[in-house]
Amino acid sequence: MDKGQNTGGLMSSAGLVRYFDSEDDRAIRIDPKTVIATGVLMGVLVQLLTFVS
Amino acid sequence: MGWKEAAEPVLTRMPAVRRPEGHVPFKRKLAWTAGILILYFFLTNINLLGLNQAEATDLFGQFRAILAGEMGSILQVGIGPIVTASIVLQLLGGANLLGLDTDDPRDQVLYQGLQKLLVVVMTALTALPMVFAGGFLPAQPTLTLGGVTFGESGVQALMFTQIFIGGILILYMDEVVSKWGVGSGIGLFIIAGVSQRLVAGFLSLSEEGFFFSWYQILFTDDVQIGSLVGGDGLYQLIISEGQILALFTTVLIFAIVVYAESVRVEIPLSHARVKGARGRFPVKLIYASVLPMILVRALQANIQFLGQIVNSQTTMPSWLGVYADGQPVSGFFYYTAPIYSPDDWMWWTGLTQEPWMIMIRIGVDLTFMVIGGAIFAIFWVETTNMGPESTAQQIQNSGMQIPGFRQNVGVVEKVMERYIPQVTVIGGALVGLLAVMANMLGTIGAVTGTGLLLAVSITYKLYEEIAEEQMMEMHPMMREMFGKE
Repeated sequence: MDKGQNTGGLMSSAGLVRYFDSEDDRAIRIDPKTVIATGVLMGVLVQLLTFVS
Repeated sequence: MGWKEAAEPVLTRMPAVRRPEGHVPFKRKLAWTAGILILYFFLTNINLLGLNQAEATDLFGQFRAILAGEMGSILQVGIGPIVTASIVLQLLGGANLLGLDTDDPRDQVLYQGLQKLLVVVMTALTALPMVFAGGFLPAQPTLTLGGVTFGESGVQALMFTQIFIGGILILYMDEVVSKWGVGSGIGLFIIAGVSQRLVAGFLSLSEEGFFFSWYQILFTDDVQIGSLVGGDGLYQLIISEGQILALFTTVLIFAIVVYAESVRVEIPLSHARVKGARGRFPVKLIYASVLPMILVRALQANIQFLGQIVNSQTTMPSWLGVYADGQPVSGFFYYTAPIYSPDDWMWWTGLTQEPWMIMIRIGVDLTFMVIGGAIFAIFWVETTNMGPESTAQQIQNSGMQIPGFRQNVGVVEKVMERYIPQVTVIGGALVGLLAVMANMLGTIGAVTGTGLLLAVSITYKLYEEIAEEQMMEMHPMMREMFGKE
């Protein structure tokens, strides 16, 4: 890779959804673990309810 | 600038995943990425509560390969809403209608908020017709949960809620990967979906499985191959049962993408102060990457969804669309449907359409993909700061210059303007052409040309990113050079 050049860094980080460094102080912050926990809970809950019904 | 002030209180308060403080070790990044991937696969296997699975049909149809998710699961909408929201933003941003300057921190916050809000709206708009219109996801007539019995509309509301939450989960899973992991979540989900289909296309123990169908051809009497001399047998071996052409296309697309990734115009750079420090700025042939392609396909997909929904509600005039077995067979919606497989255009195999109708459809598809590919590539380059102006600024900031030219942003920009726009347009059009060709020839596992192009180029990007990460792990000094904390 070339020295100090943006061969991939900036470009590859451009996904369909873009995230910038600057964030507003008023925004609600979510811990990444919360996202995973919510996903797992949601899946387990729906599956359990399917068994029950 | 009225809308900014009005929308600010809402947009700035959109919940966001916390950013890591400081450097995240590479192993930790991999762990987050793997965790999200496992969660994704887990959720695609959870069936919607209250859905009558047997009668459900997929509104996404052939587009499922690139829109990820799984029919009838919590992740029913996949990345569809994100892609649609992205189209809206690209078009608005590319035409400069938003008035947002993505270098200004306050506008960045607004952009992020707007993006998230749009995805939420699109998730609802995608999920609504799936559940409530046209019977794509028929609900069970009654459902009893712990003594409470829901009627049909209750069950529908329940299903909508699940799909909606699933769509929002995808959005936040993407954010976790983007901020804490490697690459982007969307890229990850696309690769996951396409790879799954590709593996199934090879190994599946049904007629779709490449190896199984060859086993049947060679060792059993289940598949009768006609005479090789008469042409029937050859057709079966190459196109239908044998899938030789599909295998050939799949391998060819792999090779072309990997090769095209390395085709680039290299602009030499040297450091203004440090003698001997040289570098190159690569302008890649598929500079804007293949991602804009998904936007073009999604645009076609949305037209088809509209057709499906209208068709399920009323009977359309024949110039607009005639449907048979849920597929358009003539009219506007037929001509705007992309070619998915060889069966869609090989008229000599006994299709119901006239050859000229098929020609128009191929023409429309090609035009859409080639011109659309070029246009979205231009917008993409502009909105993701890969244009001449931004790259010139980046080069200037890193203290580099083009040897033989004055060290000046304007001069670097002029040189960049000679290459970037041309390369972008050629690259975008080429990728569009490739995608249509691949679909016409067919691919293993019906992953579609776009799906394959996306998967290969995202994997390649991921590989580059991992290589970069590892280098930064080994040489912490590099981190400063790459401009990351």
